[in-house]
Amino acid sequence: MEKRYTPTHEWVELNQERSEGTVGITDFAQQEVTDVVFVELPKVGKSVPRGGEAAIIESVKAAFSIYAPMGGVIISVNQALDGNPGLLNQDPTGQGWIFRLKVTHPEEFSDLMDEKAYQSYLSEGGGQPAHG
Amino acid sequence: MTSPIVLPLHEIHQEMGGHLTDFHGFLLPLRFSTITAESRAVRTRAGLFDISHMGRLIIRGANSVEAVNGLITSNLGGVPSGKALYGILTNENGGAIDDIMAYWFSPERVDLVVNAGNRDQDRKWISDHLPPGVTIEDPSPSHVGFALQGPESGRILREVEPGAAALPRRGALLMGSSPGEILVSRTGYTGEDGWEFFGPSETVIRFYRKILAVGLPLGLVPCGLGARDLLRLEMGYPLYGQELTAETTPYDAGLGFAVSARKKDFIGRPGILDASGKPLHHEDHRLLVGFALTGRGIPRTGCDILSGFSGKGVGTVTSGGYSPEAGGGFGLAYVDRPFAQDFSTGTAAVVRIHQQDLPIVFRTRPFVPGGLR
Repeated sequence: MEKRYTPTHEWVELNQERSEGTVGITDFAQQEVTDVVFVELPKVGKSVPRGGEAAIIESVKAAFSIYAPMGGVIISVNQALDGNPGLLNQDPTGQGWIFRLKVTHPEEFSDLMDEKAYQSYLSEGGGQPAHG
Repeated sequence: MTSPIVLPLHEIHQEMGGHLTDFHGFLLPLRFSTITAESRAVRTRAGLFDISHMGRLIIRGANSVEAVNGLITSNLGGVPSGKALYGILTNENGGAIDDIMAYWFSPERVDLVVNAGNRDQDRKWISDHLPPGVTIEDPSPSHVGFALQGPESGRILREVEPGAAALPRRGALLMGSSPGEILVSRTGYTGEDGWEFFGPSETVIRFYRKILAVGLPLGLVPCGLGARDLLRLEMGYPLYGQELTAETTPYDAGLGFAVSARKKDFIGRPGILDASGKPLHHEDHRLLVGFALTGRGIPRTGCDILSGFSGKGVGTVTSGGYSPEAGGGFGLAYVDRPFAQDFSTGTAAVVRIHQQDLPIVFRTRPFVPGGLR
């Protein structure tokens, strides 16, 4: 499935029905954050507005807020990050996903950057750390 | 914002893949690999740090040693020539203007290494308080400084510069002669054995490259400011602007070892010591304490410390971090004087991180075992 990106370096991927989204951080963000020590995961059932703070990544360097790319209700969190926060550094766009949400407005997806737009955003200096 | 100053080692940092950051107006590597990996390397092997942002001031003229001694808390007259001395430059109230390293090589010359962000202010303060005939020079804008730190440092340095490698702990010497003269000292900010070098760009860069060439195969790694900050915090060393400010005295910061009561006079003495030479207790000043979290969480500068019983705010975190060696999240905080006593004997306290109150316990410094002080 296609991933879409936020200016704050989160990615979201929708399921086939476009009802649920999986959220994580990009490889660029992972490099900026470095050395993740743990992740403050959201509570399942919590509702988050688009752009609202949904999780916190604590790295050796600093704390970084993770914002919901789309509004919705948290339906699951990646428990593997509890025992192995390094997954966020090793595989940020795969096994290092952070949470899943039931999206309220699937059409918000199209407001986000696609891969090409995100890459050009990075090359135009959007790469300045937006987190934290 | 003006652009940060690009320092002479910049090109080498780029070649080595440094991730750069603006620190007090200087563009410096924050890290090359990861902060954790670099810190580990310094504790177990060796690391190389660019410290060109640090200021170096040279005081010259008859009685330079006496002149500097009148400005700092520690006793430069009490250490032999060629020995590094840590001291605090204090204002009239005993508050810290900066913390510095001082070296004297003859009664007519004292070298100071000062913090990047304080250099201009220090130079002005010192210059305003020097007696006639004593001058101050600031070679910092054209100098390069680097630190070689870690247990393998000596082995690396012996192959490049045996004379410098033979220095005793805290020993210092001037290598070569002006204009290529380099100040070398067996000192550092990591708690490990190590050496620091300051001198004119070209000479020092050549030297830096030699150390890299010899050191890399022996496990030396380039390190950034991230590791530098974590390593100093593990040792409980203060960072000016965080643990030390114009409002804190050396005793507030737990730096009584850097105050010489034997010295009759220095600026700020009346704010630090009573007439008999005993530390003055300012009841309204907070005290610096070390703490660690009992569970997970990482304290950061500015987090509140609250009493575990009353829930009242009793202090503020000045530096915080995470280190597996230190047992997890840990940090330094200024807390109300009466609370400091209770806390050190086991009274409960919490640190507020992201609106959560997490239990902390008192910890003595250094936070990690071993290391040199």
